[in-house]
Amino acid sequence: MIYLDNAATTLRKPPQVARAMLEAMQSCANPGRGGHQAAARAAETVYRTRALAAAYFGLEPEQVCFTANATEGLNIALRSLIRPGDRVVISGLEHNAVTRTLSALGAKTVPVRAPLFDSEAWTAAFQQALDPETKAVVCLHISNVFGAVLPVERIGGLCAARGIPFVVDASQSAGILPLRPTDWNAAFTAMPGHKGLLGPQGTGLLLCRGLPEPLRFGGTGSSSRDQSMPRELPDRVEAGTLNVPGIAGLGAGLRWLAERDPKALLAREQGLLKLAAQGLNRLGAETWTGKNQTGVLSFRLPGWDCEEAAARFAEQGIALRAGLHCAPLAHQSAGTLPEGTVRLSLSPFTSPREIEAFLTAAKRLHIRTSRSQHQSGRLNRPVFP
Amino acid sequence: MFDLYMTVRSVTRGQKGSDALGRAGISHRLLRAPRSIAPGGCAYALALSRRDGTGAVGVLDRAGVTVEERWLREPGGAFRRWGQ
Repeated sequence: MIYLDNAATTLRKPPQVARAMLEAMQSCANPGRGGHQAAARAAETVYRTRALAAAYFGLEPEQVCFTANATEGLNIALRSLIRPGDRVVISGLEHNAVTRTLSALGAKTVPVRAPLFDSEAWTAAFQQALDPETKAVVCLHISNVFGAVLPVERIGGLCAARGIPFVVDASQSAGILPLRPTDWNAAFTAMPGHKGLLGPQGTGLLLCRGLPEPLRFGGTGSSSRDQSMPRELPDRVEAGTLNVPGIAGLGAGLRWLAERDPKALLAREQGLLKLAAQGLNRLGAETWTGKNQTGVLSFRLPGWDCEEAAARFAEQGIALRAGLHCAPLAHQSAGTLPEGTVRLSLSPFTSPREIEAFLTAAKRLHIRTSRSQHQSGRLNRPVFP
Repeated sequence: MFDLYMTVRSVTRGQKGSDALGRAGISHRLLRAPRSIAPGGCAYALALSRRDGTGAVGVLDRAGVTVEERWLREPGGAFRRWGQ
């Protein structure tokens, strides 16, 4: 299989990830719950990942909180900051992890829109949207649909100047671009562990520069007689037994990344993305590309329904994702509703040969459509062999 | 002999403190605090030699590790507060 759905989760991981998980399963007990060797080993495993992540993101270890995924981190962050009726400014590219949570909280959400790949325009649009009533700003770092990079440092600067808490969804940027929550003035930065950080599913990080409110309540292995959750991070938001094997795997993914040049990894992905986009454009596909873009590409093949196209690719052993990508707001902003797009997304393990194979498959679909249109005299009619 | 116990509220703080002490070359152990010095239940202690106590306080302070209390363990096993 040629796996090009890395924005959903990276399937291929460094082999160290699975090894670390297996080792943790076989040797680690419950971290912070006992003084015996197996508990101490679990605590050490968890802390090594925490400290590594802290160094990677320029924070202190206790500011790194483990979550099950980015969605949980965003839920903690938004529930900590927002009350019903609060005015919250968000980018018009946000995922349902943000928009559904805000809806559930009864927030008055104000989506900001700008041309996808124009950082200046995004900054100006956010600046215009902020007013004294704004209680929080939420912005993703990279769009999960279009790969557009948003200027979070500048948006964070606007928020800091006005005293507005800033939340960053780094789901697509963690492990891809440098993340510096301190430079961004971000109160909270949420990310999954299983995408660019190359860890397993069921892992995520919430980087806290503010004090979050707990989403879960229960045992933390600390201050047990106190019936309120500790104020101390990370315990405040880490009630219950941690996913130690997952965290061990995430640590291995982080170590793999830390040993490599992030600029080289990014340049490689951007080169492959350009190759894919150029090939698709030669076939007359509609593509969304721009200057500030990472390894995520949305496209449509002429004459093909997006879901059907992705299914035909899958039949040829190529894994893509089609539809709305859990981000209807992003498609609304980009004018790609209701059908959405087909999305190709890369990882450090994607090879040029795989992109060539993808383009060969795209060409087959294109030829099939062209023949059908020629024979039937009808345009935009997908062919289902 | 590790006879000085510095209590911290969470295992993460203890581990951060342990890293800092290790970097400073101060011998120590991180352990679950005995109940008599952790009245709130479930705390952790960095155990070290009293001769390293003053240096360790500075190291932990610079590392941003909040120590709750400092206890000296007497030869008989009882604890008494240290340097506060």
